[in-house]
Amino acid sequence: MDANMISHILLWIGLIALALVVVALVRQIGVLHARIAPAGALILDKGVEVNNPAPQVTSADRHGRPVNVGYKGERGQLLFFLSPTCPVCKSLLPTLRSLGKSYRQELEVIYVSDGDHEQQMELIKQHHLEDARYVIGPEIGMTYQIGKLPYAVLIDAEGVLKAKGLVNNREHLESLFEAQAMGVGTLQEYMRQQTAATQ
Amino acid sequence: MTLYPVFTLALSAILAVILLSAAMHKLRAPQRFRRQLDDYALLPPGSLRVVARIVPALEIALAILLLIPALRVVGALGTALLLGGYAGAMAINLWRGRSDIDCGCSGPGMERPLSAALLWRNGLLVLMALLAALPAHQHPLGGFDLFLILACSLVGLMIYTSVEGLLANRPRLNALQGK
Repeated sequence: MDANMISHILLWIGLIALALVVVALVRQIGVLHARIAPAGALILDKGVEVNNPAPQVTSADRHGRPVNVGYKGERGQLLFFLSPTCPVCKSLLPTLRSLGKSYRQELEVIYVSDGDHEQQMELIKQHHLEDARYVIGPEIGMTYQIGKLPYAVLIDAEGVLKAKGLVNNREHLESLFEAQAMGVGTLQEYMRQQTAATQ
Repeated sequence: MTLYPVFTLALSAILAVILLSAAMHKLRAPQRFRRQLDDYALLPPGSLRVVARIVPALEIALAILLLIPALRVVGALGTALLLGGYAGAMAINLWRGRSDIDCGCSGPGMERPLSAALLWRNGLLVLMALLAALPAHQHPLGGFDLFLILACSLVGLMIYTSVEGLLANRPRLNALQGK
C-alpha cells in the first residue's frame, strides 16, 4: 500500500465519522424539538384558576368505589376527561396509560367520562382500562366546568390545581406530567421563575 | 456511456436501503400508511386497502432486484418510476393546494407537510436510480473497490438520513419561531 492509498482510506474513515456526527446531531435536534414542543396545555378560562385549591368533589368509579378529587393525598391526581364518541380522546389513551405507569409513584390517573354505559364498556375493553380508576358520571365534569374534550386537570398532592387544559396531542399530555415532575404548571410560569431567580 | 462499477454499485446499495426502510415503516404501521394514502386523495377509496398492501411489497421487490447484479437495471428503472410516481403524487397535491397533509415519506415521528423540497429530494433519488441503471465497466472488483462501495454507501445513507431529519425538523422550527 502506498501513502496515497493510506491517506485515501484515512480520509474515508474521517468522512464516515463526520457523517455519523451529523446524523447524531440531527437526531438530538429532533429530540430537543420534541421536548420543547409542550408549551402547556391550552387553558380555557372557565372554572378554578391554576394554583388555587382544586374544588373538592366525591364520586364513585364504575365499581362503586368512592373517588375523592381535590383532597390532600399521598399522590397527585390527573383527571382525564374523555368520551367514547371522541376519537382524539381514544388516540391519547395509549400514551396516557404508559405515562401513567411511569409516573405511578407521584400521580394517580383518573378517567372521567359520562354517557352511554355500553359504549363505555367497549372503550374500557378496547384500551385495557379494566384496572384503571374510571368514573362514569357528570359530577366531576360539572364541578370542573369541562366544556371541551379531551380535557385534563392536574392536581398535586396538596389538593392544589397545578395545570389544566385541552389536550389534543401527546405533547400536551406530556406537558402535564412534566408539570407534575417539575412543580411548574406552565412554560410561562417557569420563565417567570427563571427571570425572578436571576434578578 | 459506461460508469465506474463502484459508483453504480454504491448507488444501488443506497437506493436499496432507502426502499427497504420505506417498506419497513409502511409494513409496521399499515393503518397509518392507509390513512396517508387516503390523504393524498388520488385513489378510489375501495382500492386503498389493496394498494397499501402492494406498495411495500413492490418496494421490497425493487430493493432485492437492485442488489442482484444481473437484474440491477430492471430494479433501477423500476425504482426511478416508483419514486417519480411519488413525486408526481406530491406535485398534484401541492398544485391542489393540499400541502398540509403528511407526506408519508419517513417513519413515525418524522411527519411533515408536503413541500417543494420534497420534490427536489425525489428528483435527486430518481436521478440516482437512473445513474444506477446505466451499464458499468466489466472488470473484477478488488478489495479496495469493496471498501469504497461500503464507504460510499455508508456516507451516502448517513447524509440522506441527516437531510431527512433536518427536513422533518423544519416545520417544528417554524412553529417555534411563530411562522
